[in-house]
Amino acid sequence: MDLSDSVLDHLRHVAALPDLSGTRYELESEIGRGGMGVVYAARDRELDRRVALKLLDMALAGEAKLIARLEHPAIVPIYETGALPDGRAFYAMKLVSGAGLDGYVAGLPSLAKRLGVIRRVGEALAFAHARGAIHRDLKPQNVMVGDFGEVYVMDWGVEAVAGTPGFRAPEARLDQRSDIYALGALLAFVLPETAPPALRAIAAQAMNPDPDARYPDAPALLADIERSQEGLAVEAWSEPWWHRLRRFGARNAEKAFQIPGYCGVPRSNRQPLSEG
Amino acid sequence: MIGYRMRGNPDTAIGGPSGQFPSTRLSLLDAVATGVPDEALERVIALYWKPVYRFIRLKFHKDNEDAKDLTQGFFTSALQRDFFVRFDPAIASFRTYLRMAVERFARSQYAAATRQKRGGDVEFEPLEEQAATSESPEQVFEREWQRQLFALAVDELRAHCEGYGKQLQLRIFEAYDLADGERPSYAELAVRHGISETAVTNHLAWARRTLRGLVTERLRGTTSGPRELHEEMRRVWI
Repeated sequence: MDLSDSVLDHLRHVAALPDLSGTRYELESEIGRGGMGVVYAARDRELDRRVALKLLDMALAGEAKLIARLEHPAIVPIYETGALPDGRAFYAMKLVSGAGLDGYVAGLPSLAKRLGVIRRVGEALAFAHARGAIHRDLKPQNVMVGDFGEVYVMDWGVEAVAGTPGFRAPEARLDQRSDIYALGALLAFVLPETAPPALRAIAAQAMNPDPDARYPDAPALLADIERSQEGLAVEAWSEPWWHRLRRFGARNAEKAFQIPGYCGVPRSNRQPLSEG
Repeated sequence: MIGYRMRGNPDTAIGGPSGQFPSTRLSLLDAVATGVPDEALERVIALYWKPVYRFIRLKFHKDNEDAKDLTQGFFTSALQRDFFVRFDPAIASFRTYLRMAVERFARSQYAAATRQKRGGDVEFEPLEEQAATSESPEQVFEREWQRQLFALAVDELRAHCEGYGKQLQLRIFEAYDLADGERPSYAELAVRHGISETAVTNHLAWARRTLRGLVTERLRGTTSGPRELHEEMRRVWI
């Protein structure tokens, strides 16, 4: 028989839908798809709540279980893993209400809030890396910022995922340092045009094409961001002397204000060294 | 050359009336390696005859008869055992490998015809211009591959339903999933067949699950192994 284009497309779609018979879930709608699989919104009939249901090849089920063991406030909790009658694996996870990081940044949050998201992502990475898991596909679409400001890193990778251009490290074999590269790319993504050069330098170091020249781990990167926020020198940037002086002035405005006093300068003529 | 019998009428039922697959579910390369190359060839012909024919028509601007002759020529002379042995899944998918082989075959036929006619009035000539379609010949090839893949699976689903007393499931599947225009509602189908709406959706779910399995098995039989199968499945499902 000859199938028309519309029938063919319909069959390609419906034959891919998960058959949830025999499970506690009821399909609602597709909410996303990526290199690793398709995600559906579904209803858990037993607990009467909505969940996100991710479908995978059965070959990837083992790694899905590893991801399911990652319990961290910034990692989407996995409720259950299982197999469908058609042989595909699935896992049910918390259905997060909020925006992807790209949508969040479009709302023009403050620099501090943007860096707060990066901190949470970095903490999740550090947690996962310590347990032998890597993300492999960190990108703005895989970071959700919830309605209450909570941050979730989603779509933890499995072997088949190859990363996303712009966020994928150049090396062929991805490891934890590849996640550091992606975290740097994520930092560069959230920085506004007016961001301090030290932060851009941190992102650049994390994205160094040579994995050995990047930060050794996520905490080291986060520590440099924190130093930048506190007005301290950062590992990633050899700042010019005048910049160092300005930073010193900004951190020590009060002390600088007092220096002339020790030098006998009248109080009315005293100016801070920095504009702050 | 591997012997086989071309099936199907000479025009529209290209690739065989049913394209029945042997029951084995070996991958393509396993089938060749384990001494059943005829079977591997049958699988390839059933799935690819029509895509190759359409590709040749568009790519080289051949009319129906010439395209059929070239397609026939490709499958009867170019597709020998070495063809499978030379296939390296690390370089390209089998589908891409086959399409490129078709191109090489067609161009070599052109060169032979040119020599024979001393560069004179040769009909076969690769043309830059495309047929009146927005899709490239390569896109049409992939589309026809998908169409044939599902058409064969639907044929097999029908045979399965007939053989296992699943006529009701088949009728509901045909009425809903094969409808080319407006689809009936689940309620309409329930009234029509005197069953509940839940039964309608259950029958549809069964038919789709079975169809998915049949498509997967056909893909398994025409790919080199699990990795290529996985990649091809990602291209098939929407």
